[in-house]
Amino acid sequence: MTQPSGPHLTPDDLDLWLDGNLSEERQQHLDRCQACLELARAEQEIVDQLQGLTLMSASAGFADRVMQSVVVPDPFAIRSLQTVPRRLLATRKSMAVAASIGLLLLGSMAVSIIWTLGHQTTLLALGSWLLSQGGQLAWLGLRGVASNFMEQPWFENARTVLAHPGRLALASASASVAYLGGVLALRRLLALPTQEVAHANA
Amino acid sequence: MVSGPEWARLSDQEVVLIARAGREAAYRELIRRYERPVFALLFRMVRDRELAEDLAQETFIKALNAIESYRPEFKFSSWIFKIANNAAIDHLRRRELDTLSLDGSPHAETPEQMQATALQIGARQESPLDAVEAKELGGAIEQAIAQLRPEYRSCILLRHVEGRAYEEIAEILNLPLGTVKTYIHRARNELRQTLAHLKE
Repeated sequence: MTQPSGPHLTPDDLDLWLDGNLSEERQQHLDRCQACLELARAEQEIVDQLQGLTLMSASAGFADRVMQSVVVPDPFAIRSLQTVPRRLLATRKSMAVAASIGLLLLGSMAVSIIWTLGHQTTLLALGSWLLSQGGQLAWLGLRGVASNFMEQPWFENARTVLAHPGRLALASASASVAYLGGVLALRRLLALPTQEVAHANA
Repeated sequence: MVSGPEWARLSDQEVVLIARAGREAAYRELIRRYERPVFALLFRMVRDRELAEDLAQETFIKALNAIESYRPEFKFSSWIFKIANNAAIDHLRRRELDTLSLDGSPHAETPEQMQATALQIGARQESPLDAVEAKELGGAIEQAIAQLRPEYRSCILLRHVEGRAYEEIAEILNLPLGTVKTYIHRARNELRQTLAHLKE
């Protein structure tokens, strides 16, 4: 063995050597230095022994025992609502924000109630004006729809057909049958399959 | 739906997301992945199979019930090992406080009092479980590991038995990287010396 170059291997150098990443320069020192080589071999032996330790496992049924005490979240629960109280009370800042919002809501409700009690006549007058205006608007809308219908080219033909009681009954029966058929078809489409589809869970 | 073989293709983070959505199978997959390493670490830390199982159970229950607080930017392995290591260290500290001196209580004033308070090593009957433990932990290297300080033991086990990177060990044990490296070097040194002594 020739004279080794540079200082002895540091613990970091030994780590690099154990991981196979030692630089060429330090490797040259290691190849020539008996003391470092002995140390490195001893370290390697320790690491080999550690890596060869017996694999250990917990006793059978470990997962079942753990799962007995684990709460699996309900996927259909509204998570955001569930965590609202916890989030509101999480920090001082969030508590202050929650308290401010609460005070603002309560304050505005109180002001609203006080104003209502003091202005009952005004509120009654406003209510009756809104009611009359609303009624007028609804009547105008109905008249508009009716006159629109009457101006349609097919209106006279439909009126002739429906003027005869027999034809009216026939048209009503046809409409009822079509409606019933539609409902049954929709129900069949939305029903769950009674038998498991082959390979569906594969 | 994720089935058996497909779980293997998912990362820990992906399995955690499925668990958060309420799939029990994802919880079981996480237990399956970490049951062995977590148990092995705890067993070698406390050297009592029954106690290690209790601590491992406690670790998983704590982690899985708090899965909502797990931050995916960190490794799941770091998180679960951190909980396990804390459980082991807490237990060892409590045990240290409860340990009686082999020579009896330090407050004993007479030889009779000392004898009455001394730890009775031979009094404990060896159960079949103890025999299994002795077989599992009876090797020279296992005995040498047992003589290490708990901090050194965690470091060396995580590094060379579980194959964790130095950075991850620092994160798990909440220690500076330099301290972790020092602990591992010292642990290897002590193991070498203890093994040499045991061979003599």
